[in-house]
Amino acid sequence: MSRRAALLLTLALVAGTVAPAQAYLKLGARVGTRTLTLKWPAMPIRYFVTDRGVPGVTSLQLQQTVSKAFATWDAVPTAAVSSQFVGFTGAGPRGGDGITVIGFDNRPELDRTLGATSFLVDTISGDIVEADIFLNSAFAWSVAAQGDPGGFDLESIALHEIGHLHGLAHSALGETELRAGGRRVLAAEAVMFPIAFSPGSIALRSLRADDIAGISDLYPAAGFSRQTGSISGTVTKNATGVLGAHIVAFNPRTGKLVGGFSLQNDGTFVIAGLEPGPQVLRVEPLDDADIDSFLDLTLGVDVDFRVKFYEKLVVVPRGGGATRIVLKVLPK
Amino acid sequence: MRRVLLLIGLLVMAPALRATVLVPAEFREIVAGSQIIVFGRVADVHAEWSDDRRRIDTVVTLDASAYLKGGPGDVVTFRVPGGQVGRYKNVIVGAPEFRPGEEAVVFLSAAGPAVAHVFGLSQGVFRVRLDAATGRRLVIPPLLTASGDAPERVTRGALDRTPLPIEEFTATVRAAMAPARVTR
Repeated sequence: MSRRAALLLTLALVAGTVAPAQAYLKLGARVGTRTLTLKWPAMPIRYFVTDRGVPGVTSLQLQQTVSKAFATWDAVPTAAVSSQFVGFTGAGPRGGDGITVIGFDNRPELDRTLGATSFLVDTISGDIVEADIFLNSAFAWSVAAQGDPGGFDLESIALHEIGHLHGLAHSALGETELRAGGRRVLAAEAVMFPIAFSPGSIALRSLRADDIAGISDLYPAAGFSRQTGSISGTVTKNATGVLGAHIVAFNPRTGKLVGGFSLQNDGTFVIAGLEPGPQVLRVEPLDDADIDSFLDLTLGVDVDFRVKFYEKLVVVPRGGGATRIVLKVLPK
Repeated sequence: MRRVLLLIGLLVMAPALRATVLVPAEFREIVAGSQIIVFGRVADVHAEWSDDRRRIDTVVTLDASAYLKGGPGDVVTFRVPGGQVGRYKNVIVGAPEFRPGEEAVVFLSAAGPAVAHVFGLSQGVFRVRLDAATGRRLVIPPLLTASGDAPERVTRGALDRTPLPIEEFTATVRAAMAPARVTR
């Protein structure tokens, strides 16, 4: 297989209104009336690292940290993903070279953005011809083993962006507080939560249940679907479907949280990759978020409803699904 | 069989979703950090390759209904990363997308001669949607503003956090721009 062919990603070309439900948040790109779902057709993911460091992080440390972050995703036993470092490159993560590059760069128009993942998609063939991860050199970075209050933890941010590179979108499993001068993360139960912890924190160097469910849903290893289960149903308000509701499944035995969204106008949702057994279900509005970083807002996301817990424990069967759960929410 | 159908559904369906890692700003910081704040309707959206042909940017032209800060003219133009030229689409995960005809309040950074860009990638975008029930224009997402210097935990579903009518939203922006009152 040629290098370029190896880099190509296959996209599932689907009509936007075909299927009734969608589970985990996966990256997509709207092209006309279609939505392209991003997914690597073959492993390993081959990547280059820019041969440039920033103050406090050499290019070798960048490469080692990125490789460690890839290895964390590769180690998920229920997901069939792998990666391969190809070499250093003088190219930045700016595109136009047909290879996947991860590196530091300075783009003033991406202010307040620590890192971002980009894809170049051939909308005719459905291939992604290139994917890159940009890390913002305008910020201070750290690779200190225990973190450094003077910089953002490179491994945590790389882990998040590599999740995007695989095709995962954001998780809403996080809690924040407002304070003068900004907003701060108090807790996050997903590496894919879009807001970074404060400099010095190394709390998100390890994947959470939500991340593992997502990557396993996208790239299931043998037996994954037989070992786990799902919950599906609808969120309604005044007998009408609610779009963009955040539904959280909480396992009271293990304390693990996995989230999902209602992504259709009829309010249907599916949360897959759940451990079998009882789960507590909660639905909440995404009313504290920069919704653009989760969903296409023109879809008409509804944030005007109250938090609701499902009245009963939902028992997830192994290798099956608990279906037809109806979460009826009230307007605020 | 039901499980199989469910999984097929999971695999084939995915709306357009966004992603990146942000350092979030509090609303007053967004206001202070923007040189132009404008409410208007998207008149034109076109994408073009960058000069070095390494990426695609989208240039958005907004018919200005009201400037809350700055004010270059009847229309304002700004650039967002990503877009589609011919068969190629550059997806910058986390970058906002605009469509002609939609209304929004946008907070723009405009340093020097360069074309303005949205503050904080998508943090400076507030969409305006017509509420079918009331006929009012509502701003999405709801505002997150600190009421004082003490930290405040953000709780989803808070009853007082709802989409604001555009009039209230613009009043809030203006209040955030007002100089702090000095007391003796």
